[in-house]
Amino acid sequence: MSLARRKFLQLLGLLGGPTLFLLVFFFGPLLIMVVYSFLTPGLYGGVDWIFSHLNYGRILGWADTRYEKFDPVFLSIFGRSLRLAALTVITSLLISYPAAFWISRMTPGRRDFAIFLVTLPFFVSLIVRLFAWVLILRPTGFLNQGLMGVGLTAQPIEFLYTDFAVILGMTYVFIPFMFLPLYGSIEKLDIAQIEASADLGATRFQTFRKVVLPATMPGIIGGAIITFIPALGNFIVPSVLGGAKVLMIGNLIEQQFLSARNWPFGSALAMLVMTAVLVLLVVQLRLARHGEH
Amino acid sequence: MARRFLTLYGLLFFVFIYAPILLVVVYSFNANTVNMMIWSGFTFDWYRQIFGMETQVTESAIYVDSTDQLYAAIRTSLTVALSTSAFSTICGTALALAVARYRFRLAGFYRTLLMVPMIMPDIVLGIALLIFFITIGMNLSLMSIIIGQSTFLISYVFVTVSARLAEFDTSVEEASADLGATPAQTFRKVTLPGIAPGILGGWLLSFIISMDDLVITYFIAGTGNTTLPIHIWGMLRRGIKPEINAIATLMLLFTLVIAAIGLYFRSRRQK
Repeated sequence: MSLARRKFLQLLGLLGGPTLFLLVFFFGPLLIMVVYSFLTPGLYGGVDWIFSHLNYGRILGWADTRYEKFDPVFLSIFGRSLRLAALTVITSLLISYPAAFWISRMTPGRRDFAIFLVTLPFFVSLIVRLFAWVLILRPTGFLNQGLMGVGLTAQPIEFLYTDFAVILGMTYVFIPFMFLPLYGSIEKLDIAQIEASADLGATRFQTFRKVVLPATMPGIIGGAIITFIPALGNFIVPSVLGGAKVLMIGNLIEQQFLSARNWPFGSALAMLVMTAVLVLLVVQLRLARHGEH
Repeated sequence: MARRFLTLYGLLFFVFIYAPILLVVVYSFNANTVNMMIWSGFTFDWYRQIFGMETQVTESAIYVDSTDQLYAAIRTSLTVALSTSAFSTICGTALALAVARYRFRLAGFYRTLLMVPMIMPDIVLGIALLIFFITIGMNLSLMSIIIGQSTFLISYVFVTVSARLAEFDTSVEEASADLGATPAQTFRKVTLPGIAPGILGGWLLSFIISMDDLVITYFIAGTGNTTLPIHIWGMLRRGIKPEINAIATLMLLFTLVIAAIGLYFRSRRQK
């Protein structure tokens, strides 16, 4: 047996199993979901194998008036999800950026430890972290106790089940996602450039806007994208902290699968999320290419 | 001035990250059974309840979910996490080795492709798997959870092991071959020990993520297979109870120990 042939067989041995597994159990399901989004929902929760574009019509504006009515509420829930995800990105950026800057100026030993501390909560159970915020935000929670104790409010404020609670919860959960790419690009900042800018008479703000911000832009974009994607499709955070009042597209999809039992429609909603994610990734690729030139 | 402001901000950042978690830990020792938010003394009662021991506060008995259910959920989670992490580690390592050590046209393609499961919104993957299992007529079982979680955990292991392979000096492998070792010997004696920290790291990472996965498991678990996160999710939906604090604290301890082990090996590797 020749060397090339042996190498080829080794490669096949390494790649074959995992490739087959992922083809069948990862790409297979996604493909079936796409197919489902074009099928007709059965009367009693199943699916009829008849082509239908009405699942998309119900969301996007055309529909058969008999039972598959177009309802703008779906688009408005999607719009809210986009908005809340975007606000989550902005909040976590504002929180992480100065902190990453601070940590990047530490001595190496301290720096490693600080990054370890930022990453650690990522390994703490998601449900535990959200539960903590329920304890803080609920009417009898710590925040209200504190506010009333200081005398700022006489009655508890309803923080839970608001947009604020959902954004706060998602920010808290996704902070490491934003922090790490940001830190990566802030750490690479050339201090000499900043000093040069200051020496040449630029104000702090000018230096930040013209030197620091452009240099850290890849980290900002990277962090924004990997925070935005899981935030957009999230249904755990809005369920726990948003209740029935702050529905996101994830909650809608969950309902279609577990209570309404309209799988084709749920699939179409999921395709909406997928499309948004794909558009975002294409934009990012374009931006990255643009940055190289 | 600016520097002092930055330091203050940085410290507040860590307070924001850790205060909520610490609150859960502190209040898991709160003796107040009437209002769990008001501190009224120190107790181990919530822990005693979890372990099925008698407690002094009989009133709180109304809160107790069956500890049997809790134990069953922990067992299910451990079974799933052990199987999933083992399977994902084998597949992810094989893929990483293939992409890093063999020259073939699809290597770059594989690298991009294996990113897809990690950026796929988990709810999309969850429902896609549910539709798939139902369509091919497969029962929702422990097996479906293991398969479902592996589809994205393979990617995490792949990334972790690839990172290790990238910083691993190929000249050592070449030297081994030059000195007359067979490829199998080189692999066993040089490559494998060299990337072992990466494999261990990938295994621990996939174990932790599997133990914590709620969304994907939620859709494909079926009715009989409650994992720990799903069990707690159910408890939360039925109402906020003090014993959740204690369960949460124990989970915290468990994941911190595993994360500490993983990070210890990673820091040793870097030195």
